[in-house]
Amino acid sequence: MINRIIKVLVLLPAVLFVFTGVRWLVTPGDVAATLGLDLGEGLGRSSLIGDMSGFFLTVGSCMLIALITQRRTWYYPPIMLLGITALGRTIAWLIHDAALAVPQIMVELVVAGILLAASRRLPQER
Amino acid sequence: MMRPAIHRIFGMGILCAGIIAAGLLGSSSPVDAQGAPLRQVSANPVRPNIVFILADDLGYSDLAPYGSEISTPNLSVLADQGLVFTNYHTGPNCAPSRAMLLTGVDSHLAGVPNIPEMIAPEQRAHPNYQGVLGDDVVTVATLLEDAGYNTYMAGKWHLGMEPNKLPSRRGFKRTVAMMDSGADNWEQRPYLPIYDQANWFADGERYTLPDDFYSSRFLVDSMIDFIDSGSSEGEPFFAYLPFMAVHTPVQAPQEFIDRYMGVYDTGWDDLREQRLERAAAIGIVPADTPMVRMETTDDWDTLSDEERRYQAKRMAVYAGMIEAMDFHIGRLIDHLKQTGQYANTIFIVTSDNGSEASGPTDPRGFPKRLGPANLGYNLDYETLGLKGSFSTIGPSFASASASPLAYYKFYAGEGGMRVPLIIAGEPVDPKQRLTNAFAWATDVTPTILSLTGVSQPAERYAGRPVQPITGRNLTPLISGVSDRAYGPDDWIGYELTDHGVLFQADYKLVVNQPPVGDGQWRLFNIVKDPGETKDLAASEPQRFQRMLGHYEQYRRDNKVAPVPEGYSQMRQIVLNALLQSRKNVIAFLLTLLVLVPFYVAYKSTRATRTLPSD
Repeated sequence: MINRIIKVLVLLPAVLFVFTGVRWLVTPGDVAATLGLDLGEGLGRSSLIGDMSGFFLTVGSCMLIALITQRRTWYYPPIMLLGITALGRTIAWLIHDAALAVPQIMVELVVAGILLAASRRLPQER
Repeated sequence: MMRPAIHRIFGMGILCAGIIAAGLLGSSSPVDAQGAPLRQVSANPVRPNIVFILADDLGYSDLAPYGSEISTPNLSVLADQGLVFTNYHTGPNCAPSRAMLLTGVDSHLAGVPNIPEMIAPEQRAHPNYQGVLGDDVVTVATLLEDAGYNTYMAGKWHLGMEPNKLPSRRGFKRTVAMMDSGADNWEQRPYLPIYDQANWFADGERYTLPDDFYSSRFLVDSMIDFIDSGSSEGEPFFAYLPFMAVHTPVQAPQEFIDRYMGVYDTGWDDLREQRLERAAAIGIVPADTPMVRMETTDDWDTLSDEERRYQAKRMAVYAGMIEAMDFHIGRLIDHLKQTGQYANTIFIVTSDNGSEASGPTDPRGFPKRLGPANLGYNLDYETLGLKGSFSTIGPSFASASASPLAYYKFYAGEGGMRVPLIIAGEPVDPKQRLTNAFAWATDVTPTILSLTGVSQPAERYAGRPVQPITGRNLTPLISGVSDRAYGPDDWIGYELTDHGVLFQADYKLVVNQPPVGDGQWRLFNIVKDPGETKDLAASEPQRFQRMLGHYEQYRRDNKVAPVPEGYSQMRQIVLNALLQSRKNVIAFLLTLLVLVPFYVAYKSTRATRTLPSD
């Protein structure tokens, strides 16, 4: 039962990450505003759309592949990406005069924690 | 009796400094080695506070000093003490006018040739057609903040919701701002289905309105808090107070509505006549001003008693909303008096465009009622204007609100573009109370800069190239040094979705497009004939052709993009809303498409795992 709950807790954010990644490709202005970002123009816009869609699609895809293949190693890329993102936000607040984005950091840490639990608890394929 | 004399002398000092500053047009703003603007200090020993009050969709004759029956005692006092402009013009719709008012630059060059909700995709290909304030224009707030002013804003912004477009990033130190074209006045809810929510921000962060919210009261309360928070710093303030009154939905407290019950029982034609008589008696328009009757004005006599009762209440709510705004302006004035700041405060009062006629004649008829009903609003007579109610005045009363002018908001007729402008306060002591000199929306920023002794930016500001201010300083009109801001050869053009206009001397070249206009260019003398009744195109062909040439030059100089074939304002709003929805649907479908291979892989993996081993 607990394993099933963990699978759902992995599946839901995975789909959300994929959806967000697709939105970065289709309606980047809208999703940028929700993250407090300017879409910018030229190279900046290219980097923002490319990097952000890459981030979200990679995180979501890895989580889905982890669920499908039942291989622990697929959990590690999203755990690292989310954990380092939360760390980066904290450093930005400490050093670079950014806002302390507590809700975003909490979401990233909670999802990373769920993925860590999933990598430990869910049955693994040999 | 000593104080007024001192203030009069001081006021003349400000005006003289303003006139000197006007002579320095084109002087570049001083910057440091890094290109950051240096603090500019006025030559005046005490710099005046500026309160810039902007009403939303207020018609030409909606204020008592302009001939209205609506009681606006506080604005009337300002008008009595200040200078009332009878020939001031602004853009025919909201955001472009606001861009011009705050930058002194034509809306097309300021990045806001139209509200973003109304811009066609073909036009969006042009960088200046994004409908948000461009990065190459400097707001008057930025200039004043850099000169040491405390800058505050409370009200409607509508010049961009991206982080770098928020008022907190465009020169305002403290803000509480509504980002959309309009919103409910009683609670935080959108008034059109094109918005997911009413987007309010405070100091750059999303903001939730208090439970006891009513727009005019809340905005003035917020402004008073801002002013008090900075009063200990000893710096003057610039308070930008763009009210939501009287934009749709028209809503007002019951006690203000009650004062106008029965006032409009004789209908819109009678009201239009009454206002013309009063405006003429005051000197706002010539005594013999003729009027046209708009084709969109219904026949009051054919309405049933019940319909007349409902229509009269629609206008009563509108009047109540205006008086409520005036009441809260009075609270701000009282506060400034109590805190000793009134004597050093200049008030500028105007509207972003003329009266709004978009509401249907019979909002309760099917299918008109479906729109508000889908948003959870009611149209009931008993609660009209109160919380949960959606009200408008419709085209017939809008025409009376613009009396004696033709047309209304979204059109280039005088009713859409000629609005009240009052400049008042003890620091200014005008030599006359009324002026029929032509004035234009871009003139407000250079006038504020002149009154405060702050330099205009030239081609660069803070190390970046910027659009130069093109408006004129109006302080010579206030001081009586001049009776015109524009000479006989100067011209001002404007365009909104192919509605075109060119002002030169006392003349106006104008074309109004369908559905209300006919797409024909006409020429009027708007000083003698503000009602635009006598077309002079045939009798003055040379002037007509010359002004047409100027208009084409205006379009080229200001990067006006043509509207696509078959364009209509209202249809574009709907199309843009559908386009936005379509993008979200596409994102959803693409997500499903991306997820399908994962699902197939999951099913095949699961099937493989459940196969019996050999």
